[in-house]
Amino acid sequence: MNISLNWLSSYIDLQGLGTQEMADMLTFAGIEVEGIQERGVTTELVVVAQVVEKTPVEGSDHLNVCMVDAGEGSLRQIVCGAQNYKVGDKVPCALPGAVLPGGWEIKEGKLRGVDSRGMLCSASELGLPDKEHGLWILPQEYTIGTPVRSFVETDTIFELEITPNRPDLLSHWGMARELAGITGRTLKADPAEAPTATIETQPAGDAITLSAPDICPLYTATRISGVKIGPSPEWLANRLVSIGLRPINNVVDITNYCLFELGHPLHAFDAAKLTGGLNIRRAAEGESFTSLMEEEYSLKADDVVISDASGAALALGGVMGGLESGVTETTTDILLESAWFNRSNIRFTSRRLGLGSDSSYRFERGTSPWNVLRAAARATQLILECCGGTAGPVLVGGQAPCLVPEENAPTATVLEQGTQAKIYYALDQVKLDWKELDVMTNASLPHMEGARILRHLGLRDVDGKGTWDCPPWRLDLKRSCDLLEEMVRVYGIDNIPATNTAIFVEESSHDRANDYRMGLARKLAGAGFWEVQTFKLIAAESIDPTIAGVENALPIKPLMEGDVIRVSLPISEDHSTLRPSLAPGLLAVAARNINQGMEVLRFFEMGRVFRNTGGGKGKDIENEVLGIFMAGRLTPASWACTKPAEVHFEHLRAVLDTLVPKADIALVPSRQSRPAAALGADIQINNQACGYVARLALQKCRDLGLPLECYYAELDLRKLQQVATAPFKAAELPQFPGSGRDATLDVPASLTHAEVVKAIQAAKQKLLVSYALKDVFCDPSGEKLPADRKAVTYTFLYRDAKKTLTAQEVDAAHKQVLDTLTAKINNLSFR
Amino acid sequence: MKNQIASVQADALSRIGGIADMKGLEEARVLILGKKGTLTQLQQGMRNVPKEEKPAVGALLNEARTAITAALEDRKLALQQALDAAAVAGADFTMPGATLPMGGLHPISIVREEAVRILRRMGFTLSDGPEIEDEWHCFDALNTPDDHPARNEKDTFYFDSGKLLRTQTSTVQARTMEKQAPPVRIICPGSAFRRDAIDATHLSAFNQIEGLYVDKNVSVGDLKGTLEYFLKALFGAETAVRFRPHFFPFTEPSFEIDVLLQAAGQAPRWIEIAGCGMVNPAVFENIDKETGKQLYSGCTGFAFGIGLERLAMIRWGIRDIRLLIENDVRFLAQFQ
Repeated sequence: MNISLNWLSSYIDLQGLGTQEMADMLTFAGIEVEGIQERGVTTELVVVAQVVEKTPVEGSDHLNVCMVDAGEGSLRQIVCGAQNYKVGDKVPCALPGAVLPGGWEIKEGKLRGVDSRGMLCSASELGLPDKEHGLWILPQEYTIGTPVRSFVETDTIFELEITPNRPDLLSHWGMARELAGITGRTLKADPAEAPTATIETQPAGDAITLSAPDICPLYTATRISGVKIGPSPEWLANRLVSIGLRPINNVVDITNYCLFELGHPLHAFDAAKLTGGLNIRRAAEGESFTSLMEEEYSLKADDVVISDASGAALALGGVMGGLESGVTETTTDILLESAWFNRSNIRFTSRRLGLGSDSSYRFERGTSPWNVLRAAARATQLILECCGGTAGPVLVGGQAPCLVPEENAPTATVLEQGTQAKIYYALDQVKLDWKELDVMTNASLPHMEGARILRHLGLRDVDGKGTWDCPPWRLDLKRSCDLLEEMVRVYGIDNIPATNTAIFVEESSHDRANDYRMGLARKLAGAGFWEVQTFKLIAAESIDPTIAGVENALPIKPLMEGDVIRVSLPISEDHSTLRPSLAPGLLAVAARNINQGMEVLRFFEMGRVFRNTGGGKGKDIENEVLGIFMAGRLTPASWACTKPAEVHFEHLRAVLDTLVPKADIALVPSRQSRPAAALGADIQINNQACGYVARLALQKCRDLGLPLECYYAELDLRKLQQVATAPFKAAELPQFPGSGRDATLDVPASLTHAEVVKAIQAAKQKLLVSYALKDVFCDPSGEKLPADRKAVTYTFLYRDAKKTLTAQEVDAAHKQVLDTLTAKINNLSFR
Repeated sequence: MKNQIASVQADALSRIGGIADMKGLEEARVLILGKKGTLTQLQQGMRNVPKEEKPAVGALLNEARTAITAALEDRKLALQQALDAAAVAGADFTMPGATLPMGGLHPISIVREEAVRILRRMGFTLSDGPEIEDEWHCFDALNTPDDHPARNEKDTFYFDSGKLLRTQTSTVQARTMEKQAPPVRIICPGSAFRRDAIDATHLSAFNQIEGLYVDKNVSVGDLKGTLEYFLKALFGAETAVRFRPHFFPFTEPSFEIDVLLQAAGQAPRWIEIAGCGMVNPAVFENIDKETGKQLYSGCTGFAFGIGLERLAMIRWGIRDIRLLIENDVRFLAQFQ
């Protein structure tokens, strides 16, 4: 909301307050200052000047060099780019040294090589609303050399963000009242007080029917006859312009003015366009309404409309007037509405229709019923002053809603407004416990000071025992903590000493998980992987089982129809579905980086994946997982290694081995069938299913812009942590040397490593402490080895924990192992 | 014989002096001291030396062998030193290195871990909760009015099940207090979601750290002392911190916190960094009502929340928040 300092100053004495002090004051009252605009000029160096000569600058299509008379006795040469002036025009001229709004200092200089000694100004360059495009053409009667500031009013506009709990600040009077309350500065006369005290009220009878009292329990209408519609007086129009509004006509401007003065929205109907009494009712489902902006809307039963005997919706209650019933130049009689609407309904209507107004903004944040008659009285006063005519009494339909909790109502202080038809307003009453204040502030805020703050804010100590009446404009003061807040806010948190109490806390499982994950992340970073963070909401189509083993989202279980969780109202299809796997995100990262020429594509992400456990009918579960992606070269190329090797499956496997080096990791074919193009397996760690690995389908990778072998693994972080952090005892180093033996097996090419391992284990050789695959040799040409065979070399280590083995003992043990291999593996020979 | 020994020795020493490489040295050793070497052959001639001359000739032979062996060793040492010197001569230390694959942590992880480390040092323990939340934990428990705009499905991601993606990590306040009796002193780093279109300053999914301390007699002074310590630890001990009154439904009084920071070449500026406040008693009442236990009545506490993307952007002068989710290695590599 924009607040004009000039306007504000008519309600509160702000003498001697600088702009920055004012901004700080607002800031520490909890009102955010989003911007400050200085309007007009304070310097003597912007003067009225007359253009005497105007000639085009050579080589420019828009610059002119002007000789201007600024009342200095000689002419001044200034280069100007504007187009809207002619020789003889009077315009504002900023002389060198002048500082314009925004801190812009005018200097002598050259434009296109032509001397320019000052600047001819537009209105906006002087911080004023632009009336025309280009220079500000001044009336001819202005005297050359007169400082512009002598006829231009300066002002400062504060752009403020008011928090939703403080609708009472959404007006100039409200803001003045608050500033007076927190600073102790003098508040001038309440502009609504006198008119409200003298206005006549009458029961509305048939003139107003409240058919939806839950939405609109209080509606007043004032008939003002014989008004003359025309432009607003200059002071009023200027105030509206200063806060960014466009003057329309005197009546409409006055309703807007009252809204920004008192914070209560009003509406003026052309009385001639109404038939019979008003009916404030719920809209019919599908009823149509055309706003004064000429937009048509389809309404629902939670919307409230103002209609008349004709039945038509004349206005959308609390939001906007209708096209047909508004005040125009030919209007002579008006009906002025001031009413109270339930904020939830107005919010619902305004949001659903995407139709907001200064009125709906205030109603949906909450208005005080106490302000209904005040606004009506103030607007009536101004209309009579500015537009003439005669006003009837305020017709009052219904009664102000009681906003006080039922149990407090009987003892509440009640305010009374009006004459024949009274409007009653019950004040909120709060029981304040000073001990709570002492706890909150460590007793640093004296009770006397606290009480003074509350009184300044308009509260009243009812009984001297901590019962306080809250002022009628403060809808947010309901409970003791609301009063504590006011005292702390105004007293200032700066005045409350900082303390530092803490307690001992136990480490939680989340602490341990965090530590494990950070260690793992650093390990992977050290191994040349970039940690990434990708979006948790992804495109449904990116969850493609043929890309990764995504169909087997963790925990390992096929994704069924409905297991993928979709938000009801996505912003876009690209971000519509909660990721069941990190694979789509990591693939996108890889594709982005390969486009940037990255040769080494190693990425990992840790984060949650989501799925339903039962086709949308089960539980939604969230799992913390680790996704690892590998493709491209093993290292970037360099002069020392111009063509580094490409990543293959065994490199991903090597990474897995480093994650949990002590554990027994097995990759087992998935129980679920996988699309043929993708190679995949489940990862078992210490015989527990822990994740999956996949070589991604090559065609899909090409489609995604990744024309290379891509490897992916996804692991359950909780299980990984269990394995990696299990307690263990350090093994002692062997006392005696071991002896190694190698054996090269000539076997069918289809024989797996796992089958060899199984045969080795079947030997149950006690002296065999370890074995490893050392070499694999194939010859597709069939020259050195038939193409359907391979030679695999294993190395075996034998050791006895209690003595050094003799060569004969080692040979005997090795023979036993080899014999077992021969027995267990068909078609085996040794080379 | 004696003359022969002297002659072999002289020849040998002169030959050794002229050797230029290790191979020549080994050849000389074989030629002189090997099985058929010149000196070895002379030694074999000892048989024929008269008995009375043997001691003297033997001594001469030993002297010759010692001298030759020493000469060989000296020469070997000299040659090795020359080789070693040659091995480093002309090395170009200005050559670029070979390459290793580079990796590193994401900037959000870096700031998160730093904040977590400071807060854990201050006695906060980690807590967590689901990202798919119910309205109760996300709004009701936190004193959010029924008609609050955040509950609108244009602002919050809902699911057909009626659940939603949490709009703030404050849900973990309610989750923790439900499970645990006071005192509570927790932090929760995590994701939150708002239905904002993605642009240079907005993401629809972002990261926060939530903090909560509840006990008997927790004061505004504690809130101030704790957050001042935390922010000074994060931004430097000299950093000025200020608290501006603000409004959040779940705290009262509420504050926004600014820190005074100076970007290169600019005047210092107050930059909003976090929200905080004293836990609204309504939140305690909601928890006690839900659990049926009166654990939190009579407690006071404070809560705070800080956006991690914002922290990273301020810290490193990042202008476009989208850089944090694009994961371009040229960007990521700057933080290592």
